[in-house]
Amino acid sequence: MESILAIAVSGLSKNYGSLEALSEVSFSVRRGEIFAYLGPNGAGKTTTIRILSGLLKRDAGEVSICGADVASDPVFVKERIGVVPDESNLYPELTCRRNLEYMGELYGLPRARRKSQAEELLSFFDLNGRATTPFGALSKGLKRRLTIAAALMHDPEVVFLDEPTSGLDVPSARALRELIRTINHQGATVFLTTHNLHEAEALSQRVLILIKGRVATLGTPGEIRQRVQNLNLLSVTFSAGIEAAPLLEACPAVLQASPQNGAWRLEVTEAQAALEQLLAFAGGEGVRISEINTITASLEDAFMSFLKEGEAKTEATP
Amino acid sequence: MSQLRRALAISCKDIESYYGKPPLITWGLMFPAVLILSLYVKDPATYLAIAPGIIAMTLLFGNTSMAAIVITFEKRAGTFQRLLLAPLSMRTIILGKAASASVYGLATALALWLGLKLVLGMPLVSPLLFLAGFILGAGCFSLLGLTAAVMVREVFEAMTLMNFFRFPILFISGVFLPLSQLPAWLKPLAYASPLTYVVELLHLGVTGHSEFATPMIPLLAILLFLLGSWLLAEAMFRRRAYT
Repeated sequence: MESILAIAVSGLSKNYGSLEALSEVSFSVRRGEIFAYLGPNGAGKTTTIRILSGLLKRDAGEVSICGADVASDPVFVKERIGVVPDESNLYPELTCRRNLEYMGELYGLPRARRKSQAEELLSFFDLNGRATTPFGALSKGLKRRLTIAAALMHDPEVVFLDEPTSGLDVPSARALRELIRTINHQGATVFLTTHNLHEAEALSQRVLILIKGRVATLGTPGEIRQRVQNLNLLSVTFSAGIEAAPLLEACPAVLQASPQNGAWRLEVTEAQAALEQLLAFAGGEGVRISEINTITASLEDAFMSFLKEGEAKTEATP
Repeated sequence: MSQLRRALAISCKDIESYYGKPPLITWGLMFPAVLILSLYVKDPATYLAIAPGIIAMTLLFGNTSMAAIVITFEKRAGTFQRLLLAPLSMRTIILGKAASASVYGLATALALWLGLKLVLGMPLVSPLLFLAGFILGAGCFSLLGLTAAVMVREVFEAMTLMNFFRFPILFISGVFLPLSQLPAWLKPLAYASPLTYVVELLHLGVTGHSEFATPMIPLLAILLFLLGSWLLAEAMFRRRAYT
């Protein structure tokens, strides 16, 4: 019977010399899911994808993709996965169509299927007009699209997307996100690494936050936001402009202050104490508080909270 | 069978992308042709003593260089990673890459021979031995080029690494000086060079003469070198291809 899990990872560890890139990472991805793998730069996201796709050996742990271990059965696993690396890396001298057909050859597709699949993907990714353009002559956004198309030539069960919209303009990134949704609706499991939290929240069913090679949290975006509900956030609008430095100095209960859409977004230790300090500060500055609201933590707030927690743990470790 | 077909796809793509380019063809043909022609002009009676060696030298430089350039170029561009991500065994990748470099070496050397045959009337006493020398030499040198390329990142590093091997063996492998005229202390080194046996097979093919008592000796020796080069390339690819 086919497992409901597309990816199962348990106790995955990887060191580069004395640097611990991944430590005891465990998670699983269900078939048909879009799973976001989040983390700041250097968290170990690309290392994980490289291990899962068979490009890098792990030091410890177990990895099963579509029921097989990529280390012991690489050809079986590679036939079932499609990988879009963080850099678009097709052959610059080959045309878009030839690139796709060549990928089909490498995956052992018969000639007729290669040709029809290439045409279908060129059409799906709106690249029909560029079929005879060399890959090297495409814009960054079109290169990204063709690289994703190439990863889909053999109809993979699992698609790994490493920072798919990185460096793209807003319309291209939005169009690509739509394509990712469509690929998923057509049945592929999507493993998405990104540091774009809005993208992760918009696309994925579940999210894993990786900090310094360790799993900080795992769950649906809603569950993760729930886990940081003790995070006190306020939105405060003053009647006139104020500076952050005196505000922070006058209000010890305010940990962070950042301007946001004409208001101040404040992270506070305790709402009541902060409110009293803010009123006193406003009075001293000769301004009024015209609006004050509590804010529900976003995935970005949760991410930042886990990041701080992770950094604090690292500093505390002797 | 499926993996063999994929190796063929890699070879065809490489020939399409790299080997059909005019600068490569002219470099592979013009350089040795001019050398042989100048030897012929100097002394038409003796140029045949060196021509097979020059053709073998073309094979050595052409194949090692092209194999190395293709791998290092693809590593830099990130396209080599596509092969590692595809369901290909390491043997399939090596076979695909070595075969395309060998086809390039074979094509240029055969075109060179044909040109010399037409212009200078160069003989061909034993076409089978001549072809065996070409094919086995092309395979062996391509694999050595691939091995060097997978150990480094840049093209110039691959070339430097290979030049430590290519230039010294030019002088001990019977290209310019027959083995019988080498000092005794150099002969063991000559026998340890794959180029020696390629030169001898080409000599046998062109003139029917060789420094060895029987053609079986260079034939078996170059077969052993081919096997050794394959094992070396496979070991290095397994260790270094993913870095």
